[in-house]
Amino acid sequence: MSCNSSVTWVNVSSVGQAQRVQLHLLPCEIEHNGPAQVSQYLTATIKDCKLEKTVSFRGRGLKGQELICPQGYTGLVLKETNKPGSDQEDRTVKVASVFDKLIYWNLETPPNSDDTVVMAMDWPDLAEAIHGPVED
Amino acid sequence: MATKKKRIPNMQNDSWVVIAADSAIETQKQDSDPAFVRLRNPVTDAASLYMLRSGDVQLFEVKAFEEDFHSWFVGQTVQRDGRLLFVTPMDPLYLMLPYLVKAGKEGKFQPVDQVVMDEDFPACSRLLSCTRSLSSLHHIAEEKEVGGLKFHRYSQEKTMNWLKKKVERMDTVLKARNISVGEGVKSTTYIRVKSESDYHPEDYLRYAHGMISEYLSEDLSKALLKHLQLPELTSPKEPEPPSKKRKLSELPVEAEEDYTKFNSADFARKPPKKMTSAQKSLAKVDKTGMKSMSSFFSPKVKAEKK
Repeated sequence: MSCNSSVTWVNVSSVGQAQRVQLHLLPCEIEHNGPAQVSQYLTATIKDCKLEKTVSFRGRGLKGQELICPQGYTGLVLKETNKPGSDQEDRTVKVASVFDKLIYWNLETPPNSDDTVVMAMDWPDLAEAIHGPVED
Repeated sequence: MATKKKRIPNMQNDSWVVIAADSAIETQKQDSDPAFVRLRNPVTDAASLYMLRSGDVQLFEVKAFEEDFHSWFVGQTVQRDGRLLFVTPMDPLYLMLPYLVKAGKEGKFQPVDQVVMDEDFPACSRLLSCTRSLSSLHHIAEEKEVGGLKFHRYSQEKTMNWLKKKVERMDTVLKARNISVGEGVKSTTYIRVKSESDYHPEDYLRYAHGMISEYLSEDLSKALLKHLQLPELTSPKEPEPPSKKRKLSELPVEAEEDYTKFNSADFARKPPKKMTSAQKSLAKVDKTGMKSMSSFFSPKVKAEKK
């Protein structure tokens, strides 16, 4: 039996208890998963200018912008709390938190419409053109 | 500047940032939790991750957008995996097409539930339960009804007409959104442009064909190109860097997967990108049976095109 038969359930009823969180997409990889004092050291020092936000992170100037989730879409952070012992078993993830906007940060460059993540937000519309039903 | 630091593979990943269609996660319906399932990717012939939700059965595509060196702050935590996953509604016909094409070679009408089945991917027969599937099968197959039972046979002609409509719609969207399609198929840069007068209408059509081809076997992609009366570009005039290699060239293209790298140089033409070396090593780890969470959204098997 191949492990292609196991599925990963998304416990959507957990959306109800999910907290709304602030997301920051950082222009660097942090080789760590776990708690961090984000509000104390990052959020507190963000400066809001007209067109962009600025903050200093580890001595580097970041320029950022808020992005709103496309219409008809919801941001979710999925978490697996109980990992099964084998890859034959079904798995379950729950909705740990939800978001409707995120802040993405560039290193030095001002945020603009050609930034990858900005264009990624166009994907649902492009996907609709690819996958929407075709008239006869 | 920075020397190449060896990155430790991310094995402890148990959290994902996802932007999902509301239809995938609405909670009104009972017993209809959505689930990530593995189905055969029509392009790679290998496993890719999709989402199915029961009840009013719907299929969703799972696509990861990723740039190198990104991580998330989620509330008061760090999440190393900087990918942003999108869950968007998908046309189930794209996934059923390879099965119908294969069965169509026998030339006879068959019950579709005997055609769309796959030992390697048991979830595949659930595609037929998708609300949209049976009502749209006539786009790709001829139908015959005998004694209240329906039989289908793949039709290349119908399929081409259906795909042409898809390409034409994509073409309109690309133009409306001022998405740069570069010169011919050469440029893969996905940027907005101020004027579209720089582009030949054929460029948009070719680009749209490229996007639809993300869901088609190479044979169908070529047949569609012919159907659109676009000449096949056999070889690019100038050598291109590997990252810009197009599927439309005759060169074999590496199997594409959905849960892979994503960068601005390649987005519109090829949202699913080649695997990063880190992902490749993870995929390898995966095959040995040491299934890590971080490889969950990565391709399981990397298949070579036959």
